[in-house]
Amino acid sequence: MNHNLEVTMDQRPEVVERVLRVVRHRGFTLTNMNMRLVDESVYLSLSVSSERGIELLSNQLTKLVDVTGCHVMQPAMPQSASA
Amino acid sequence: MRGADAVIKVLAAHGVNTVFGYPGGAIMPIYDALYGSEVEHTLCRHEQGAGFAAVGYARASGKTGVCFATSGPGATNLITALADALLDSVPVVAITGQVSTSVIGTDAFQEIDVLGMSLSCTKHSFMVQSVDELVPTLYRAFDLAASGRPGPVLVDIPKDVQIAQLEYRAPLLAVADEPKVQDADIDAARALIAAAKKPMLYVGGGVGMAGAVEQLRRFIKATNMPSVATLKGLGAIPHGTPGYLGMLGMHGGKAANLAVQECDLLMVVGARFDDRVTGRLASFAPNAKVLHLDIDAAELGKLRQPDVAIAAELRAVLPRLEMPLDIAPWCAEVETLAAEHRWDYNHPGSLIYAPAMLRRLANKLPEDSVVSCDVGQHQMWVAQHMHFRRPEDHLSSAGLGTMGFGLPAAIGAQMARPDATVVAVSGDGSFMMNVQELTTIKRRKLPVKILLIDNQRLGMVKQWQQLFFEERYSETNLSDNPDFVALASAFEIPGRTIFAAEEVEEALTEMLTSKGPYLLHVAIDDAFNVWPLVPPGASNSDMMEEMERST
Repeated sequence: MNHNLEVTMDQRPEVVERVLRVVRHRGFTLTNMNMRLVDESVYLSLSVSSERGIELLSNQLTKLVDVTGCHVMQPAMPQSASA
Repeated sequence: MRGADAVIKVLAAHGVNTVFGYPGGAIMPIYDALYGSEVEHTLCRHEQGAGFAAVGYARASGKTGVCFATSGPGATNLITALADALLDSVPVVAITGQVSTSVIGTDAFQEIDVLGMSLSCTKHSFMVQSVDELVPTLYRAFDLAASGRPGPVLVDIPKDVQIAQLEYRAPLLAVADEPKVQDADIDAARALIAAAKKPMLYVGGGVGMAGAVEQLRRFIKATNMPSVATLKGLGAIPHGTPGYLGMLGMHGGKAANLAVQECDLLMVVGARFDDRVTGRLASFAPNAKVLHLDIDAAELGKLRQPDVAIAAELRAVLPRLEMPLDIAPWCAEVETLAAEHRWDYNHPGSLIYAPAMLRRLANKLPEDSVVSCDVGQHQMWVAQHMHFRRPEDHLSSAGLGTMGFGLPAAIGAQMARPDATVVAVSGDGSFMMNVQELTTIKRRKLPVKILLIDNQRLGMVKQWQQLFFEERYSETNLSDNPDFVALASAFEIPGRTIFAAEEVEEALTEMLTSKGPYLLHVAIDDAFNVWPLVPPGASNSDMMEEMERST
């Protein structure tokens, strides 16, 4: 299953490393990533795939001390074919 | 003042009067600040020993344990103890020296990226970037270590930060709100409990860590619900409580495992469905609905989907779930199971039967006692055959299963509870892993009692080789062990060796009544194994049982 997450974090030098470690260790493959630093916050968009439920990962990311928000994005609805 | 002086001042402000550690180049300013300060330092002889002593201190006292190490090898030697504290949710603050900020990243002498190494073995970790961050970071570390689900926090402090000047100001920390419990969740939980005909409490280490032992005992009294405990949950429920079946899981009692498999409601309190507890997860308590209570929301639904889950302080939730239950037939069934599968200590032969010896020891210990275990067969025998008045009276490396834990943890426990009788129960394999801490006992004149159960084997591994590897005993023969009594004597610790069952009673008395430290070396037959055993991958209802050969 593929999933998209939006993670917001306090800026620390190691914070992205901290998140990526959890992604790997909990059994998810990172397929895409985008990171922005705005003021003192880090915004991270992640695409991951795994046979495991995404709640396992999102719960563990939410638990990280530097993580201020973690949202699993609903998959986009397939667009209906135009006539 | 210097950053190093501020470190000591923060410790004092948090009531820390005992620190375990080992000095080195990158932490010398902190050791200099420690000299003559009000914070007492216990010099261990290996950083791993210092880490485990801090864990033992924390577990025996309920306070946060603190340990120091220098950069590089000092910090890496702490890692195992931090991992142990993480898996057992023990509040520890580890302070490591680091090379100066100007040379970090240059492969300087004794430089290692301990922040990077710690990511997977701590609840959180910091590297202090500047002296302005130092005091707030240390306050935050103590708060994080003890709050919510406790755990180890590492603070890495570069040497230049330690010697930089600062104006000390205690920060104001925001108090985190406790998780709110919704009334609807309580109602749903009460409905589950009320509807159950065969409910079973599955109690983990979270109960003790949350300080919810009294609430749990009141809940059991109100509901009369039968109960089992994990290795870390032992002590939460008093021995002799009606319906209490002791430890469940791989080496749990037969009655405990069978009753859990039979229940229709599993009420999980401060536990996490560890694989050593559940056996094959898919067939664990197969007919049970699950009510899961834990402070850590990430544990809810991690391995077994609960019917109702509440993430909250157990102290607040348990009283709201008290109710009388109409479960007399189930309680009678549980008592019958307990009677059918009670331990048999009438072991034939003249050799020392460790389970019987440990039961005797439990009966002889004074009320204020701590038993610190190492890891292996003796650890499981302690869990099966001893009983504990409180969770903090039983220290065991549960999650990580770390050989070498027992002796330094006992040192920490004795420092935390100087008037308590502290017994380190070890095996010949485990004992050798941190044997250098005998010097710490000598230096501190600690009256730690060491019960060393010696089968000249790496017993638990040997048992598995016997059962699952066609008796191919690869590297588990430890018959070249040293003379343990002579070894202890070199550290000015008296002791004796016993070989026969008839010597046990008198030897235990001698050990417990000796004034200072004591080593009782107990020679047992290597044929003794730990039973019952749930084989790997099997259901908890498929326990192996085998009588040892009598000699």
